[in-house]
Amino acid sequence: MLISSLILGALHAMVPLTITATGEILSERAGVVNIGLEGILLISAFAAVVGAEAGGPLAGLMVGLLTGALLGLIHGIIAVYFRGDQTVSGVGLNILALGVVAIGIVDRWGAAGFHRVERAFRVPPLSTPLGPMSPMVIVTILLAALTWYLLQHTNLGLKIQACGENPAAADAAGVRVERVRLFGAVYAGALTGIAGAYLSIDWLATITENLPAGRGFIALATVVFSRLNPWLAVLGGLIFGFFDSLGLVASTSQALTRVIPYQFIQMMPYVVTLLVVAGVIGRFRAPAASGQPYRRE
Amino acid sequence: MPDRSAPPAGAADQYKPVSVLAGAPPWLEMRGITKVYPDGTRALENVDLVVAKGEIHGLLGENGAGKSTLMKILSGILPLTSGRILLGGREVSLRSTHDALAHGIGMVHQHFSLVPTFNALDNIILGRGALLASPARAAARARIRRLMEETGLHVPLDIPVEQLPVGTQQRIEILKTLDRNVDLLILDEPTAALTPQETDQLFTVLRGLAARGTTIILITHKLREVLALTSAVTVLRHGRVVGSRLTEGATAQDLARMMVGTERMPDVKARREHQKSEPVLRVAGLTVKGDGGQDVVKNVSFEINAGEIFAIAGVTGNGQSELIEALAGLRPIARGRVYLLGQPINGKSPRELYRMGIAHVPEDRHRLGMVAQFSVLENSILGVHHEPRFRRGVPGTIHWGKVRRYARDIVRRFQVVTPSLSTPMRSLSGGNQQKLVVGRELSKSPSLVIAGQPTRGLDVAATAAIRDLLVDIRNEGKAVLLVSADLDEVLALADRIAVMYEGEIMAILQKDQFDRERIGLLMGGVRDGSAAG
Repeated sequence: MLISSLILGALHAMVPLTITATGEILSERAGVVNIGLEGILLISAFAAVVGAEAGGPLAGLMVGLLTGALLGLIHGIIAVYFRGDQTVSGVGLNILALGVVAIGIVDRWGAAGFHRVERAFRVPPLSTPLGPMSPMVIVTILLAALTWYLLQHTNLGLKIQACGENPAAADAAGVRVERVRLFGAVYAGALTGIAGAYLSIDWLATITENLPAGRGFIALATVVFSRLNPWLAVLGGLIFGFFDSLGLVASTSQALTRVIPYQFIQMMPYVVTLLVVAGVIGRFRAPAASGQPYRRE
Repeated sequence: MPDRSAPPAGAADQYKPVSVLAGAPPWLEMRGITKVYPDGTRALENVDLVVAKGEIHGLLGENGAGKSTLMKILSGILPLTSGRILLGGREVSLRSTHDALAHGIGMVHQHFSLVPTFNALDNIILGRGALLASPARAAARARIRRLMEETGLHVPLDIPVEQLPVGTQQRIEILKTLDRNVDLLILDEPTAALTPQETDQLFTVLRGLAARGTTIILITHKLREVLALTSAVTVLRHGRVVGSRLTEGATAQDLARMMVGTERMPDVKARREHQKSEPVLRVAGLTVKGDGGQDVVKNVSFEINAGEIFAIAGVTGNGQSELIEALAGLRPIARGRVYLLGQPINGKSPRELYRMGIAHVPEDRHRLGMVAQFSVLENSILGVHHEPRFRRGVPGTIHWGKVRRYARDIVRRFQVVTPSLSTPMRSLSGGNQQKLVVGRELSKSPSLVIAGQPTRGLDVAATAAIRDLLVDIRNEGKAVLLVSADLDEVLALADRIAVMYEGEIMAILQKDQFDRERIGLLMGGVRDGSAAG
């Protein structure tokens, strides 16, 4: 019982980390870094609730995806065409999200800070031997497979990698660097949008002012852990997700919280993230031109 | 489109020179091309270039003459400011390399445009095929194998190119462009990293391509290559066309004269004559390796005397940069001995060399000469900041009052125009930045000043000021090593000139032997009428 709930918990906690990380992997391979994933998660989680309440869970997922894609597009235009600072633009998204969603919740439902999503508007779970499981777990694996295939087995993948390593070489080979990079930014935004929708209309069944609670940043850690390989992002998502769900389970166990204050248990996923990333970093070589705008001459 | 399935044998023999100048109809026309960079530099001024189908056309000129800029416009990398480009009589718009390739225009770049983490195969197929299709590696591999057989340019296809030597990367670059089956092939100094045998083989391939209808434009400063390969040649100088002529009947002398011009030497400050004294710098059999590990300075020997400006002329990239880096302690000496005032300097650090009396005005002043974010004050003591005279008692501290007096003195003596000492260096004009760098180096009271391209990118007034300073140093009895790609500057300042070509000193000329044409020939690798390299 405990084992199966831990496994399901880990799988469910993996979904937002892995989907978000997978999108960001493709974007960073193309040369655009987005640290505004946390903000995109939050805004698209909010938009997905609005969409689901208007047209059902599938509509909610679509609205989440499109919202994320739009935010990714904005970040991409700033980074690629205006050659803006990608860190500043990403931080901007995070701050924007906090304001927009706080006001949005009040405006939409009248209550400040919190809105519960009714079962009818949630993504219906699949029944499995372990218990009810979200179909988004399977979608996550499919998205990782798709991203891996795009990167490793298509001409587009070659172009994406070239734009991240040496955009001048890609340009000389006739690759339209700006378009490829913009595609990367939109792809990352769209996948993050799906992950945001999953948070609100599936896993957590609620929308709050700070729903992702740092998962956008843990997804960035997952990207580092993965060394930009989508399959390793699945593994990383599982590891971080396991500690996330372990924290959730442990902090509700009275036997344990009597010994360790639950605040310390809830810190676990973040501490593990730090430790794992500190171990991986330094051995990882990012694409040479990632995060840098491309300018001819 | 050239038909590569035809047997290549004998194709090269069938190549007959074609040229618009010999009556062939124009195919590529670049009309009135002007290029002004965003910073106001006028790189090209009303340039015309007309080439026939199947012609091999040479584009000749000194550094900064605008050759590469003109060809980057043609290959879609740079936008033009004004002018028109016509292909087969129809005006074309080339706003990206994608456009240019769609019109059958491909360029082999001088600075390799390869993705370092990709192998040769992936570099060659990059950017082609349907987006979501699998890269056609097997077909490409077979095609490139054939191409390698045909051209004699062999490269390993499966090793990341960053692990391959420069010469191999150059071959990949050429194969990549040939594999595109372009109608117009532009090559920017393609032989810079090739052996003589590979160069000959490449030329045979190019003749074969031209015989089958490919038009070729060859950018070079090597006169021998122009004479050996082209039908006609256009010479650029300071962004303008000096002239176009048929290669047939031209001599290396004719081309050298067109390339370097016949202007009168500009006046500089009067130089004081003095006695020859003992050599300040003695370089014996110096060999230095480049970034790729190959010898780029080859067994070079010379001496510089006190009270003399010794200039090294040559087209950039012939080993001058590596030579001065080695003398300034920034690059290891592979073989040979270097003595400053009789003391060996092999293996010394830049700080030790400075103590021994070498001041260095680096070629790349933005990267090596200053810290752009630092203030004028801070930049004025870079390299001497640790000295006791700037300390507040204990080592590791800085007495800013003393630094201020020192910096104010440099600014006054070298006429650096700056709003204040605390102004960031990047806010100064290029000329004032350079005056501060030169001033700082001269304030170290050196016995040898190494100046790399000291006036590059500066305006007329700043150029004159820097040149006068160099003559002043000479007149004070110091030795100056001047490296410059600007022949006018070398001729105006030098007491003796060494011409470097492919890492070797072609000749050292005394003042009474200075002759533009002869230096132009030497810069192009021609020694006493016979070609080298």
